[in-house]
Amino acid sequence: MRDGGLKVLVLVPFPMTDDQLAKREEQSHEVELPERVELHYRTTRAAPSNYVSAMDYVLADVTLLEAGMHAADQGYDAVCIDTISDSGAAALRSVLDIPVIGPGRTMFMTALMLGRRFGVLSMWERWFGLYERTLRELDIEDRCAGIRSIDAQPDSKNLFTGKEDDLLPRLHDTARLLIDEDGADVICLGSTTMHQAHQYLQERLEIPILNPGPLSYLTAEATLALGLTHSRMAYPDPLVPKKEMISEMLDAAARVDRS
Amino acid sequence: MRKVAVIVPFALGEADLARRRAQTEAVSLSADIDYDFVPVKAGPSSFQSPHDWLLLDVAVLEAGLDAEDIGYSAVVVDTASDSGVDALRSVLDIPVVGPGRASMLFALTLGKRFGVLAQWEPALARVEKSLTEWGLWKHCAGVEHFDTEPDFEKLIGDKSEAVIPKMEAACRRLIEAGTDVICLGSTTMHEAHEVLAGRLPVPIINPGPLSYKLVEILLATGLSHSRRTYPKPLVPKPEMIHAMLESAARRSQS
Repeated sequence: MRDGGLKVLVLVPFPMTDDQLAKREEQSHEVELPERVELHYRTTRAAPSNYVSAMDYVLADVTLLEAGMHAADQGYDAVCIDTISDSGAAALRSVLDIPVIGPGRTMFMTALMLGRRFGVLSMWERWFGLYERTLRELDIEDRCAGIRSIDAQPDSKNLFTGKEDDLLPRLHDTARLLIDEDGADVICLGSTTMHQAHQYLQERLEIPILNPGPLSYLTAEATLALGLTHSRMAYPDPLVPKKEMISEMLDAAARVDRS
Repeated sequence: MRKVAVIVPFALGEADLARRRAQTEAVSLSADIDYDFVPVKAGPSSFQSPHDWLLLDVAVLEAGLDAEDIGYSAVVVDTASDSGVDALRSVLDIPVVGPGRASMLFALTLGKRFGVLAQWEPALARVEKSLTEWGLWKHCAGVEHFDTEPDFEKLIGDKSEAVIPKMEAACRRLIEAGTDVICLGSTTMHEAHEVLAGRLPVPIINPGPLSYKLVEILLATGLSHSRRTYPKPLVPKPEMIHAMLESAARRSQS
């Protein structure tokens, strides 16, 4: 069975310049995507400064919900969230019938198709709460061999650019510890912003390294091809959707963020 | 053009293989991949006892053993029991996909708990063994069967009018038990997928087509199984394994 084009909306969790957005878009060149898939990147209109606290998580959820809640009406066939935290994914699933792909849960479940236990390789210890939240929600904490970071505060807009010589060897050494000390069979990159490290690591390490962003795009295509979407039983719709209210909340947030 | 071997767990003839091959029509697939349906040389006659499961492990291992050397880019096993997958992963570097474990893990990306639709009561033991091996019991809301003896050659075929209502009733029992996503417990149920998906309010995972999409994802990302989970044998015994199955095939034909 072959069919027509698919428009996928990729929600980027921070407002950013075109140059910075282009660095996010580079993820789409790291895998061979089916020709029929068209990716459209869209930033949120406001955001927390980073994802390190419960306040940040709530703001992340609401800003991503607002950015994607009209995706089906706008002609998109699926939504991917460009953050491993899967922020906003549950709320978006409750208001959209089209597939909403969270790269975090997709990556962890895919890792378990390839090995027994995965390790999470992160930039920063302050991101650990994000992984722990998803692992708890999925009830797969016992399948995670370890979470380790290189203790470098990440730059969510410029990513690795200019710092490759410092960051990449440290990520490699930390990944080795996940394998040798913790017993990871598969490594999950702890952020879609780490995509620039994927090739370097995969060339040097003997186990599969999962790159969450590109994996989420391929999973969106597969989900659509199979005619699947999330279960309405797991993500019930609201009795009264409040989309206008949410839009106005983000108008206000964007005004404050700019000022 | 890349080629993928789909190992069919029964020694079927061409007409029966075509019913298996029909699974590739149920999903949009990459034009750059060809799927060859390769039957095992011999195997068990039923699939309900440890004797049967073991014979199928050996038969699938033998059928896929040389896949990489022959030029295949990946192997899929056409049974949701994932028979032979672990052994094949231990000897092949190309991706080997089992639809069973993949269905359940994929289901958990779409909902909180999955349920498994099994064929009949004797099939329950194998589903339970898989759930234990894969550590997925706590994510499973239930396993229900529709009390119909499987026909591994003709599949559902012309019996759909009688069988589909029973499948639907079993699916509804799964939903009542708290299932968010239903996994069809056998690739041989694929002919019922479309009708069930149209009638039921939860996603229904069709394991065969899912396994082909996973092959595409693994080939596109360059991923394969972890060698740490599936270590290679110190001494592979391909000649021995082939000889065993050639003997088995002669015995089955006599």
